[in-house]
Amino acid sequence: MKKKLFFLIIYFLFLGPLSSSDNKTELSEIYKNLRCLVCQGQSIADSNSDFAATVKLVVQDQFNEGKTKDEIYKFLISKYGEWIVYQPTFSKSNLLLWTLPYFIFIMGGVFIFLIIRKSKNNKAN
Amino acid sequence: MLSNIGIALVYLVLIFSFLIIYISSVDLKTSSQFIEKNIYKLSLFQITFTVLSFFTLIIGFVNSDFSLINVYENSHTAKPLFYKIAGTWGNHEGSLLLWVNILVIFSYLFLIFNHTHNKKFRLYTLIFQNILILGFLFFLLLNSNPFNSIYPIPLEGLGLNPILQDPALAIHPPLLYVGFVGCSIYFSAAMASLLSGYAGKLFAQSIKTWVKISWCFQTLGIIVGSIWAYYELGWGGFWFWDPVENASLLPWFAITALMHSLIVLEKRNTLYSWVIILCLSTFILSVTGTFLVRSGILNSVHTFASDPTRGIYILSFLSLMIFSALIIFFIKNKKETYNFNLKSRETFILANNWFMVFFLVTVLIGMLYPIFLDVLTNVKISVGPPFFNIVIIPLVVPFMFLMAIGPKFGWVKSQNKIFYKILFLILGAIIINLLIFYFFGKYSFLSNLIFIAAIFLILYSLLDLKKIFNNKKKFELPRIISHLSFGLLVFFIGINHQFSLEEDFNLKVGEIKKTNNYEINFKDMKVKENKNYKAIIGNFKLTDLKNDLAQYLNPEIRIYSNPETLTYEAAIRTKITSDLYLTMSNVSRSDYYNIKFQKKPFMIWIWISALMIALGGFMQLILKKNED
Repeated sequence: MKKKLFFLIIYFLFLGPLSSSDNKTELSEIYKNLRCLVCQGQSIADSNSDFAATVKLVVQDQFNEGKTKDEIYKFLISKYGEWIVYQPTFSKSNLLLWTLPYFIFIMGGVFIFLIIRKSKNNKAN
Repeated sequence: MLSNIGIALVYLVLIFSFLIIYISSVDLKTSSQFIEKNIYKLSLFQITFTVLSFFTLIIGFVNSDFSLINVYENSHTAKPLFYKIAGTWGNHEGSLLLWVNILVIFSYLFLIFNHTHNKKFRLYTLIFQNILILGFLFFLLLNSNPFNSIYPIPLEGLGLNPILQDPALAIHPPLLYVGFVGCSIYFSAAMASLLSGYAGKLFAQSIKTWVKISWCFQTLGIIVGSIWAYYELGWGGFWFWDPVENASLLPWFAITALMHSLIVLEKRNTLYSWVIILCLSTFILSVTGTFLVRSGILNSVHTFASDPTRGIYILSFLSLMIFSALIIFFIKNKKETYNFNLKSRETFILANNWFMVFFLVTVLIGMLYPIFLDVLTNVKISVGPPFFNIVIIPLVVPFMFLMAIGPKFGWVKSQNKIFYKILFLILGAIIINLLIFYFFGKYSFLSNLIFIAAIFLILYSLLDLKKIFNNKKKFELPRIISHLSFGLLVFFIGINHQFSLEEDFNLKVGEIKKTNNYEINFKDMKVKENKNYKAIIGNFKLTDLKNDLAQYLNPEIRIYSNPETLTYEAAIRTKITSDLYLTMSNVSRSDYYNIKFQKKPFMIWIWISALMIALGGFMQLILKKNED
């Protein structure tokens, strides 16, 4: 076991050059979260369209002005509507979207818990 | 000519389906233990005519017989033979014929191979399967007939969408269809089981193999689609949480849950109702996915064959399926008593199903919520990758822990003393994670947890693997391979996500761009004429500044002539440790080209681990066969 761990460590130490990301990723993260409105289900980051190029410039300008991610999204949403962002906002109308999956997950957990507890009672009787 | 032959064959299939349903219903009432011989004969005729009709269409495509509208719209004489054949299922009408083919083939195989099972159960399965076949045949004949003819006969076809002219995408639909449509047989079997009362263990044994087959093909089909998206779409990603991808994931979650709970039904004779629900919903979800994609309700890059009028038919058929399934289920389903112990394998499998249902529901809500919101409030929202990542990824962490330790527990109740082993391995996983974190770069708390869980699963599975070679319990091997590969997949996706390099800039021929680690030199460009397209090939010299290694990458812009389309071919250099990925695209009204350069660590390992998950499934099919 120890030998295996040792080899694993060595393996990872000498693996090819991995470098961490720089501040440029924040921009590309924003691009990836924006829908290219003239394309079929493509993000701004992936699209080659003129629309994508224009939005990229707008985002770059605002980013260089020091605006935060959320401010940029807010600006674009006010212009194009919520359709443009891939991550839906945490708003009242999206409440169910964000909470329903977890609600169902918890219900499932409760259900399994009840089954197990009931089974134990069966045995005790 | 071909049109008439094709239509005649389809009508013959239709007649045989009616005959099979009729004679099977008659045979249900007889006291004989065996299914009447005629039913076998009729089924043999049915499968022969179905396959022949498909071959007729293939011949139409191979010969470029433009008297068929379908061939005219989707083919071209200048296309290579391989893509002429693949064009058969690269369109809505042809793929529907393939769909009918698979329904019929599975129907026949189920009839032939399950001869040891109850007669009534088999007959009911056959009846339901043929009702499904009829449903799709009517759809084909009324709305989407691939054999419709056109007059006067055009001299040349319109051609196939160029991004579909690709080997991966040529085999992608047949794989997925075997996976998705294959689910139909245990939809029918589940209905039959409810009606005939042939339940429990024996039912599990009768559908086991079929579930595994469709699981393997679905998994493989999804992976091939993903590989295609990686090198063809030119985005450098492999999963986009795109509506069509999501539609293919829904049945996959259901079937994966089914495959696991089926073991519980077979070994412990419990969870019958739940297994039935999963059987029914797997196929229902497959059809739902097809409906959403084909009707054009969803906006996606992958939607190639959409038309709203088709939606109405599929939707009504789907509602009918769901409705009848629900009615039969609630009338016939009997209440079960459960006996589950916390420390038992069945409880862990239940937990697997719990998570699978969560994943399924999340994806389903993500797909449907925007549609409902739009209808109800007129607000359009997009639910994309960030949503799915935020909601799903945190729960993958506990999921992987359960995946590692679950199989270690025995049935009913076990006193497995694995606590120290778990502790030790978690410690090991934390140390390895810290090393990656320390030496290669910083990432978020959640990513740390993901890495730890993935490494834990990998280590645990490797120990299992070692044990197998010691005591030769070979039947566990497929499971271990699939679980190990899932751990590897998550691990490599994590690494890939954390350590990818991405650059996006504009260059002219002759210009040089310097980034932190690379120098990219746009040396020159040339034009090449090919059989069915013209290619503009860029020549880029890429120098790794760390070790001064230079290599050349040649991305292409392709101009297809029929139909006229531009596509962008990425230049990909795959190595064991990383992929280099370069695309170029023209910027309108300028000499500049938009260049996207990416370095994606361990890309090849993502494919290998994903394929190994499927491999585990195929191994199980083969190993089980040998056991019998």
